[in-house]
Amino acid sequence: MIPQNFEYSAPNTLSEALALLSSGNAKVLAGGMSLIPLMKLRLAAPEHLVDLGRVPDLKAIREEGGSVRIGATVTHYEIESSPLIRAKCPLLAEAASNIGDVQVRNMGTIGGSIAHADPAADYPASLLALEAQVRIASAKGERTARIEEFLVDALSTALEPGEIVREVIVPIETAGTGVSYQKMVQPASGFAIVGAAVRVRKSGGKVAFVRVGITGLAAKGFRAAAVEKLIEGTAGSAADVQKAANVVADGVDANSDLSASAAYRRQMAKVYTARALTQALARIS
Amino acid sequence: MKIGGSYTLPVARDRAYQLLQDPEVLARCMPGTDHLSKVGPDEYEMKMKVVISAVQGLFAGKVRITDQKPPEQFRLAVEGSGKVGFMKGGGLLTLAPATVTTGMSIRGSEGTEVRYEGDAQVGGTIAGVGQRLLDTTAKMIIKKFFEKLAEVAAAAPQPAAT
Repeated sequence: MIPQNFEYSAPNTLSEALALLSSGNAKVLAGGMSLIPLMKLRLAAPEHLVDLGRVPDLKAIREEGGSVRIGATVTHYEIESSPLIRAKCPLLAEAASNIGDVQVRNMGTIGGSIAHADPAADYPASLLALEAQVRIASAKGERTARIEEFLVDALSTALEPGEIVREVIVPIETAGTGVSYQKMVQPASGFAIVGAAVRVRKSGGKVAFVRVGITGLAAKGFRAAAVEKLIEGTAGSAADVQKAANVVADGVDANSDLSASAAYRRQMAKVYTARALTQALARIS
Repeated sequence: MKIGGSYTLPVARDRAYQLLQDPEVLARCMPGTDHLSKVGPDEYEMKMKVVISAVQGLFAGKVRITDQKPPEQFRLAVEGSGKVGFMKGGGLLTLAPATVTTGMSIRGSEGTEVRYEGDAQVGGTIAGVGQRLLDTTAKMIIKKFFEKLAEVAAAAPQPAAT
């Protein structure tokens, strides 16, 4: 279908973009992988689109002060294939390579994905496990939010009107960390029915550090603190992994839809958390 | 789609029941609704603007309250339709005294647990393409409603004790 008429601006600088957005009714366009289909179905009818695709500032991937900073309009494909990200934040590269299909990865952006905050998106699991931060910009200035604070609920974030995601700040991975992202994919949409991201390190044969991020199971991605607690200090045997993974859905209000009921999702969350833990442990160099 | 859950309000049961029957309070608490107009006994017309992410849906519909057994329970039926689709739902709300442990309570520890159990149908474009998100969205709207209701309950002046 054809969208309703709208104004279109494609600013060349960040300050120009922020000025346009501060004026009120404008909606941000990044890769357009969620917004454009909604507009074509006329479920969304923004009066004014501000396309961030021509702002060079937002396209950069750079290393700074122990972190990799990824601009909002960096595409999933660029993340998946960036030598810097593959070397320093391998979990994020793995997550990006699992998103949707090749067309979506070529167009879709990290900033657009997290700002849309789909409960089944792939990034939240990894960004939570990585303890990433989001740098937010508006005409009034900039602020930084932890990813936990940024993701508020299904399809809602801490972004205020006039604010955009400027970049995602991901700490550089510590040597000796094993990582894995395991996802049960919904074949038609490419979204995660459930996805589990794990980072793990051992010291003296015991699990000394572990981070587990889950997506798809609940209204928003979350850190599975109970799983982390159970696996920490163990040898990370198959039995330890299973025992820890079994608590991933405890107390979680699970999503339900035609492709997966809440009970099935909870069960799959256990399975995929166990797989991610197992693979991450095996990948410890 | 089955809908069910519970929410604890920081007011006594009589007061909670009264708030849940008050069209002005309902209008203030339903996200995107600013007015309920009475069209019959315990029947109201409403306009609701649902804004979720980039999606905006304008629904026009009706709210009906039936089977009242104050202050324990009543049935609520909601239906609405708009360009993006239609929705129809109904459920039983049960109120039970509960203890409030948060700082929200305004009268000691008196609270009310509101349980809801019901069914909802959503159709049209929004259900066709958004099926994956219907359950999550419904939960989010209900949560917002109760959060706002708790806020209204805590802020509203108590009726004089008799």
